[in-house]
Amino acid sequence: MFLGNLESLKYFLPELAITATILLLVAAHVASKNRRSAAPALLSLAGVGASLLLVGLLPGGPGTSLFEGMVALDGFAVFFKALTALATIVVVAMSMDSAELKDKSQAEYYIFLLSVLLGMFLLAAATDIVMLYLSLELVSIPSYLLAGYLKGRARSTEASMKYVVYGATASGVMIYGFSLLFGLTGTTHIGEIGRGLALGKATLPMFLAAAMVTVGFGYKIAAVPFHMWSPDVYEGAPTPVTAFLSVGPKAAGFAVLVRFFYTVFATPDAAAGMWKFSSVDWPLLFAVLSAVTMTVGNLVAINQKNVKRLLAYSSIAHAGYMLMGFVLLTPVGLRAILFYLVVYLFMNLGAFYVVILVANGTRSEEISDYSGLGSRAPFAAVALSVFLFALTGIPPFSGFIGKVYLFAEVINRGVYWLAVVAALNSVVSLYYYARIVKVMFLEDPRESAVLPVPAFPRAMLCLLVLPTLVLGVYWEPVIRVAADSVKLLAF
Amino acid sequence: MLTEFATVLVFIVLGAATVALMLGVSRLLQPRNPTAVKLSTYECGEVPFGSSWVQFNIRFYVIALIFIIFDVEVALLYPWAVVFQRLGLLAFVEAFIFIVILLAGLAYLWKEGDLDWVRTMQETPPRKGER
Repeated sequence: MFLGNLESLKYFLPELAITATILLLVAAHVASKNRRSAAPALLSLAGVGASLLLVGLLPGGPGTSLFEGMVALDGFAVFFKALTALATIVVVAMSMDSAELKDKSQAEYYIFLLSVLLGMFLLAAATDIVMLYLSLELVSIPSYLLAGYLKGRARSTEASMKYVVYGATASGVMIYGFSLLFGLTGTTHIGEIGRGLALGKATLPMFLAAAMVTVGFGYKIAAVPFHMWSPDVYEGAPTPVTAFLSVGPKAAGFAVLVRFFYTVFATPDAAAGMWKFSSVDWPLLFAVLSAVTMTVGNLVAINQKNVKRLLAYSSIAHAGYMLMGFVLLTPVGLRAILFYLVVYLFMNLGAFYVVILVANGTRSEEISDYSGLGSRAPFAAVALSVFLFALTGIPPFSGFIGKVYLFAEVINRGVYWLAVVAALNSVVSLYYYARIVKVMFLEDPRESAVLPVPAFPRAMLCLLVLPTLVLGVYWEPVIRVAADSVKLLAF
Repeated sequence: MLTEFATVLVFIVLGAATVALMLGVSRLLQPRNPTAVKLSTYECGEVPFGSSWVQFNIRFYVIALIFIIFDVEVALLYPWAVVFQRLGLLAFVEAFIFIVILLAGLAYLWKEGDLDWVRTMQETPPRKGER
């Protein structure tokens, strides 16, 4: 059922809360004299918190279509809204602690951050290709600005520039694919597009359109071969922004990838896989994409000397792991993606949090400068080790459970080679994650001065370590929510 | 639907053929007699000087961006004004919210000083955190 514009508004409160916060931030920026006050950060914390609360209050039942079919309100959208809002809250806390951003204008930074969040909310819910494109741009454009936020630093400017060029190209290719889809079916609503495509036999244009759309989504989730931007952007951007980009827009990219392909290409009654059109071997295509993504990410990560760059390649590899759940387009596989995103949020943000805290003290992001961190800042070092081992996927940490679900679906459906590739990749990743741990604990410190970790970041780290440990032993509620969310993916 | 793409294809082929034909025919028929004056860049009759690869003041771009605020506003408000009486109070409130949001942008620009073309040069603060 389609709701009209006015009736939709009461289901649109989380987005309205963010919009109101953004406008308040603009007003606060115009009115205030002190550009470095902590008020904008607190205001955005309150705004995003309120929005998260409102998301929780939304009915998560079977989908309603808002604004005449522009966005969907379903369990799937609610899941991703909660996920991205949570990530934003952690990133705001990180940004308050970051020394890089201390002497920059605060309000503008949070305006950009919240604009990205608004875009991610809409992206997770968009059911119309025009709306989808608009919200993708709403995610991208403030991201470009955030990547270049350290104006004086050449690396940051370079990051922003590269991001713009890659982003513009990818979204150009994507919208070309959309135009083909519109030409084939004569509609912009993705549910209608799915039904329209099922009638025709236009294989080649359909494949072209799907491939072009994949370029746009692949760029957002940083899948190989659309990953080129990510190491440079991740290294050059301020670290809180890097953390944000590696979790938030990536999750939103997966949301839109899953929603788009599930709505347009999935058929509810196939046993082996759910792809509706068998003219192209879709599972093989995405299996190769997944295998290449994780292999490139992991192999290039081995040789990195900069922690941020290493985590950038590791996040490419994780996009590859998550694509495993996408290969067969089954609800069970998609559930695994959603669960992995939750796990990934905590461990990846946690790792970046420690990177920020260390950089505040040492002014460096080189791995060699982490030597002896175990004695200089034991708390941060232990926390970082937990996050890194969780990223590797070693039990009893949460990353292991996430990987089990991703592997299980691929093995159940008989795509054994992909499972083997992924298992080999995990072994490779252990090497470079463990190398950081080795440097921290087994090498002698270059300086012996203690790195202070204040109380607030310490508490935040605890809050991030806790889910990483707990989800490794008691994950049942989260996987249930993830399963429900996929079930409630409305057409 | 596919036949409509065929129209596009015919259009592309015809377009490419026309360009090739016109350039080819002109190439065959033209008398070639290049001089230095003929080969110089056309700059509205002025004698060109210097390179065109110069840096423009970045404020031109800022002004272009500011223009978008008003441009978008007008683009939406014109059709709105035409049917305003039929749409009633609701449309009035919607347009009001829209304008208020744009005004917030204008206030921001004003505060940032981007509306003043003549500005005192600020001293660049010493860079911190550069390694």
